Amino acid sequence: MGLFGWTGQALRVNLSSGTITKESLAQKDLTDWIGGRGLGAWIVAREVPAGCDPLGKDNKLVFAPGPLTGTGVPGAGRFSASAKSPLTGTIFDSNAGGTWGVRLKRSGYDALIIEGEATAPVYLTIFDGRAELHEAGDVWHSDTLDTNKKLKDKFGGDISVSCIGPAGENLVKFASIMNDNSRALGRGGLGAVMGKKKLKAIAVRGSQKVAIANQEKLDFFIYEADKWIRANPITSQGLPEFGTPVLVNLFNELGVFPARNFQDSVFPGAGKISGEAIARTITTGRRGCYHCPVQCARLVKTRNGVFKGPEYESIWALGPECGIGDLETIVEANHMCNRLGLDTITTGVTIGCAMELQEKGLLDTGLKFGDAPGLLQAIKQIAYREDAGDLLAEGSRSLAGKCGASGYAMQVKGLELPAYDPRGLQGMGLGLATSNRGGCHLRAYMVGPEALGVPKMVDRFSTGGKAGLTITQQNISAAIDSLIVCRFINLAVTEEYFARILSAVTGVDYHPQDLHRTGERIWNLERLYNLRSGLDFSFDTLPPRLLEEPIREGPSSGRKVELAQMLTEYYRFRSWDEYGVPSAAKIKELGLEGFSC
Amino acid sequence: MLKDFQRIGRDLFLAGLNSSHSGNLSVRYGDRIIITRRGSMLGHLGERDLIETGLASNDGNIILASTEIGVHRAIYQGTSALAVVHAHPVHAISLSLLEDEIIPIDSEGAYLLHKIPVLSAERTIGSAELEEKLPGLLQEFKIVMVRGHGSFAVGQMLEEAYQWTSSLENVCRIIYLTRTLKRDFADKRTEKYKEW
Repeated sequence: MGLFGWTGQALRVNLSSGTITKESLAQKDLTDWIGGRGLGAWIVAREVPAGCDPLGKDNKLVFAPGPLTGTGVPGAGRFSASAKSPLTGTIFDSNAGGTWGVRLKRSGYDALIIEGEATAPVYLTIFDGRAELHEAGDVWHSDTLDTNKKLKDKFGGDISVSCIGPAGENLVKFASIMNDNSRALGRGGLGAVMGKKKLKAIAVRGSQKVAIANQEKLDFFIYEADKWIRANPITSQGLPEFGTPVLVNLFNELGVFPARNFQDSVFPGAGKISGEAIARTITTGRRGCYHCPVQCARLVKTRNGVFKGPEYESIWALGPECGIGDLETIVEANHMCNRLGLDTITTGVTIGCAMELQEKGLLDTGLKFGDAPGLLQAIKQIAYREDAGDLLAEGSRSLAGKCGASGYAMQVKGLELPAYDPRGLQGMGLGLATSNRGGCHLRAYMVGPEALGVPKMVDRFSTGGKAGLTITQQNISAAIDSLIVCRFINLAVTEEYFARILSAVTGVDYHPQDLHRTGERIWNLERLYNLRSGLDFSFDTLPPRLLEEPIREGPSSGRKVELAQMLTEYYRFRSWDEYGVPSAAKIKELGLEGFSC
Repeated sequence: MLKDFQRIGRDLFLAGLNSSHSGNLSVRYGDRIIITRRGSMLGHLGERDLIETGLASNDGNIILASTEIGVHRAIYQGTSALAVVHAHPVHAISLSLLEDEIIPIDSEGAYLLHKIPVLSAERTIGSAELEEKLPGLLQEFKIVMVRGHGSFAVGQMLEEAYQWTSSLENVCRIIYLTRTLKRDFADKRTEKYKEW
C-alpha cells in the first residue's frame, strides 16, 4: 500500500566518506513518531550515543518535515532539526517556518540525516530528490544573507537555503541555522553542529506533490479550522497586525517582563518597543510562512535599511534584558544575529549576564546595562570569537561558571531563559525547570493558560494543578511539533482538529488521545536520552534568583517560583520515581524498553 | 464598571441565557471598548476578565478580547448603542432555526419587541458577514437573532440590552409552550407585527 502524507524515504549523507544513500523508513516508525521532532528524536536516540561529544564525529543532525508539511494545512510549513546540543548536552530539536521544509518534503524526503565530518567546507544540494555535495569555498566565511543570495544566484530563485553564518563556522555554542534569510532554527547551537561538520548550507528544490489519503475530508477540516483561525482575535487580529511583539505590553503589565538579567520584572520603556509602537513607527509590511493565513512576520524600516523582524523574544533579549530600550538598536542587533547566525535569545541573555557580572565586579568586559554600542560590538565579537566574545560564545552557564558566579546565569540545563519571569507565572516555572531541552517556553507553552486564556485562564500565581496542566501541555506540544504545525495556529485550533486532519492526510486513524500518547512517548524518550547523557533530576531546577529572590516591584511583586512542591507532583504524575526516572511500567507502556537507563 | 458586568453576567448565566463560558458583554467608552475576555465565565467575572481595547483600532489587548470583538465594534460603529449583550438563549435559538423572524404572541413581548429579525450567515462566530449585516438591523431593532447561534442586543447601558435579551427568551418560551399545547396556533392579533 502506498503512503499518504509521508514519503517513506530518508536521505543519509555521510560527510566523512561523501556517500549519499536513500533509505526507506518503516511505516510503524512514521505512525508512532509522526515526523518533525518525534521522528528526529527517534533517529537521534537510536543513532547518536548519549555520551558522545556534541561537536564530535558521532553526533548527527536530522532534518525532518512532518506529514502535514506541504499539504496546505494552515501553519504546517515548518520543519525541525534534531541533534545532541553542544550548548545543553541534551537531545535537542529546533523548528522553523519559511519554505525550506516544504521543499525538502516535496523533494521526496521525510528525513535528512547528516553524519560524519567533511575534511573541507561543503554544501549540499537536494533538487527534486537528487542530492549532491559541493565544495563550499565560495560561500564559506559568508554571512547567512550572502550565502543565501550566492546559492540562489547560482541555482535559481526557486530553491530554499538553510545555512550557517560565521558563528556556526566558529563553533559558537548557540549558533543558529537560518533559512529564507530570517527564519531560524535558533536554539541549542545546532548551527555549531553543522559548522563542526563543515557543512555550510543545504539548498533544496522540490516539486513533488504530497499524496493525500482523503482530499475531500481534508478540505472540510481545513475549512473548519480556518473558521477558528479567523474568529480568534489572537490569530485573526493580534498577530497579523502586531506580530509576536504584541506580547510586550501584555507581559510588562503583568509584571513578568524581565529586565537587566532578571533583576527587574517590569521595563519602564516597554511601550516604546511594543508591537503597537513597532506597527506605528517602523513596520512597512507583513510576511508569513508557506500557506499560513496569520502572516505574523514583519518588515521594518530603520535608518539603516529594511529588515525582517524582530520577534517578541528577540526584542526582549536584545533590549530590556540588556537594559536597552532603543528600538533601532534592537532591530539592528536582531539583524546582526540573523546575518551572523546567532540565536537571539541566548545572545542577549549571555550579554545580559556579562553586564551583571561587570556590575557586580566579577568580570571586566566593559559591557554595561544600557550600552547599545557595546551590545552591537559584543554580538560581532561572539560570532567571530574575538576578545571577550570567545568567552561569551560558550553561553551564560559557562561564562558565569568561569567567574565563580553560576547563579547569575539565567538558564536551565544550559539553555538561556526566554522573555517571561516565571516568578509571576508558576506553571511556566515548572515548565522551564522540567523542559527536556532546557530553558524553553515552547515545550509547555504555559503562556497559553496562564496569560492568554488558552485553553482556559488559570490563576498564574497558584501552584495547584500546575503539574498536570504542564504535563498535558508538554505532551501535546511534542505532538504538534511532530506534525509539524506552528504553535500560534494551535492557539486557535486544538488537537481535536489536528487528529482529524492527520487522519485525512495519512489515511491512518488518529484520535486526539493518540496525539497525547505520541507526545508522552516523545517526552519520555527525550528524558531517557538525557538521563543516559548524565543529566539527572538535579538539572530540573531554575536559577537561584527565581527560587529565592522575590520580584521587587510591579503587579507580581513578592512572588518567587514555588518549584519543590510542583516538581514532586510532576514526577508522580509522569510515573517517574523521586529521582525523575521513568518507571519500568511507564517505559513498557510507551514501548521504550530499549532506551531505559 | 466591573460590578455592572458582574451583575449582568451573573444574571444572564443564572437565567439560563448563557452556558458556563458562552456569551459576551461590552460597553462603549468614547473611542474605547470594554469587552469580556475570550473564554471568560460571565457568571464569575473578575478584574482580569474585562479587556479594554480600541473601538476602531487594535492594541495589544486584542489578543485577550472576546471572539466577537469584531461584531461588537461593528455594532458601535453602525449604531448609537453604548452597550451590547450577546447571549445564547436556548428557546430563541431553537425557534431561530425554524423561523425567518420571531413575532411575539404575548402582550409584553409584543409591546417591548414587536418583531425580532433572524439573520442567517454561513459563518456565525467571529464572522465578518455578521459585522456587515448586524449593525443595519440593530439600527431598527433592539435585538436580533443570529440563526442557530444567539442574540445580539443593544442598549444605552448593559441592563437595557440585558432586558431585551431576557424578554426575547420569554417571548420564545411562550411561543414554544403555546405551540406545544396547540400545534396549529395562530393569533391574528400578532399578524400586524410582520410588517413592523
